[in-house]
Amino acid sequence: MSGFEPRVVAFLCRWCAAAGADLAGTNRLQYPPHAIPIRVNCSGRVEPQWVVEALKAGADGVLIGGCHPGDCHYVVGNYKTRRRVYLLRKVLEEMGIEPERVRLEWVSATEGGRFAQVMAEFVAELKRLGPLHEPGGPG
Amino acid sequence: MKLKLAVYWTGSCGGCDVSFLELGPGLLDVLPQLEIVFWPALVDAKRGDLEKLPSRSIDVALVNGVIRTAENKEMVELLREKSKQLGAYGACAHLGGVPALANHAPGFTEVVFGPGFRPASPWPEAPEDAPPALLPEALPLDEVVPVDFVVPGCPPPAGLIARFFQAALSGEVQAGQVFAEDKALCEECPRTREERRLTRIVRPHEVVPDPKTCLLDQGMVCLGPVTRGGCQAACPQAGMPCTGCLGPTPKAGDPALAMLSALASLVRAGEEGEDAFPQENQILDSLVDPIGTLYKYAYAKYARPLQRLARRREEVRA
Ligand code: FES
Repeated sequence: MSGFEPRVVAFLCRWCAAAGADLAGTNRLQYPPHAIPIRVNCSGRVEPQWVVEALKAGADGVLIGGCHPGDCHYVVGNYKTRRRVYLLRKVLEEMGIEPERVRLEWVSATEGGRFAQVMAEFVAELKRLGPLHEPGGPG
Repeated sequence: MKLKLAVYWTGSCGGCDVSFLELGPGLLDVLPQLEIVFWPALVDAKRGDLEKLPSRSIDVALVNGVIRTAENKEMVELLREKSKQLGAYGACAHLGGVPALANHAPGFTEVVFGPGFRPASPWPEAPEDAPPALLPEALPLDEVVPVDFVVPGCPPPAGLIARFFQAALSGEVQAGQVFAEDKALCEECPRTREERRLTRIVRPHEVVPDPKTCLLDQGMVCLGPVTRGGCQAACPQAGMPCTGCLGPTPKAGDPALAMLSALASLVRAGEEGEDAFPQENQILDSLVDPIGTLYKYAYAKYARPLQRLARRREEVRA
């Protein structure tokens, strides 16, 4: 798929992943600019319905960024998210949508480099998968 | 003046037509106030009779069943034109229901209705009495015609049917009214909820549930938290988990995704943490047939946009 630039919605928890993304920016790290970041208080706040809504509305992939295990500001939010994403991916796969389009990553506030790397990997993966929507589709 | 009533069935099992008997002796109060103008399950009437009726001459029409064939579609369009108010009666008309799970297996209908299935003339010549053409997807009623109100359930429970008739007979059916509670089924369930954690997921035939405690606590996938009340939690009271026939509460949105979220939050394999991940996954894996379980009635209504994307992906890959 040449010329395909995937659209990504990234739900980033404010205490770790969003701070990591900020750090990537202040460090002037280069990474693919395909994501629309949405800051949430905790990855545990991300409802599966939001993820599906993003896919329906035109996203090719959804990234959820949370704190590393043990680091969640609300102690167990990221564990909840992990289980939800695990089930959601199963349901998406059964629906015929590549589960790789929904990705959960742990990024700490000091891991600007890791955030940039995660974005690069995810965008590369989505390019490999191809667009979820028809040309001229929603979004 | 009597209420001019029509009841029609599309892709249905017939249970909705029978459900009116659930009113019991209450039916004797309702019947004298009705003028049944069209109800194929009950009185002989053909499409021609319906066509002859003046426009908007039926006070209330109830449609049960999923919209599955071209004929279903024509008939409900005709009913819509002839009726002042038209309601979806039962889970199939409301949400697509069980028959709409066929949408999840594209190609399924060709297998079932394709070559060799019908004993009539040999394929591909269409037999003279060929059944009406199938629509590509099974649809809830409101995808085909505007729907004024809903009497939900599989089939609608007596209490809700009575509520509907009370409103209809006094001319008080509101636009958009759903004859069920906005609150979740759990609110009217007598079982007690304690654990708030799931250490296993089981199917109903695998356990004899404790009669007093919450079925979800016992590992059954009970859709009570995301489903409208209105049936007095009839299934949980009988030891069976709620499968969601009254449809999601207004707050729940997509019932399958809401339930998925609730289930995943509750799963525990000991202390939470990285060490528990593999075991948590194992518990989550024991949810057999997530689509059929979580979307049992609501697949057509809620999963179609995603399904369309998936179909397109399939075409692209092919
Ligand atoms: S605060 Fe970051 S995952 Fe909970």
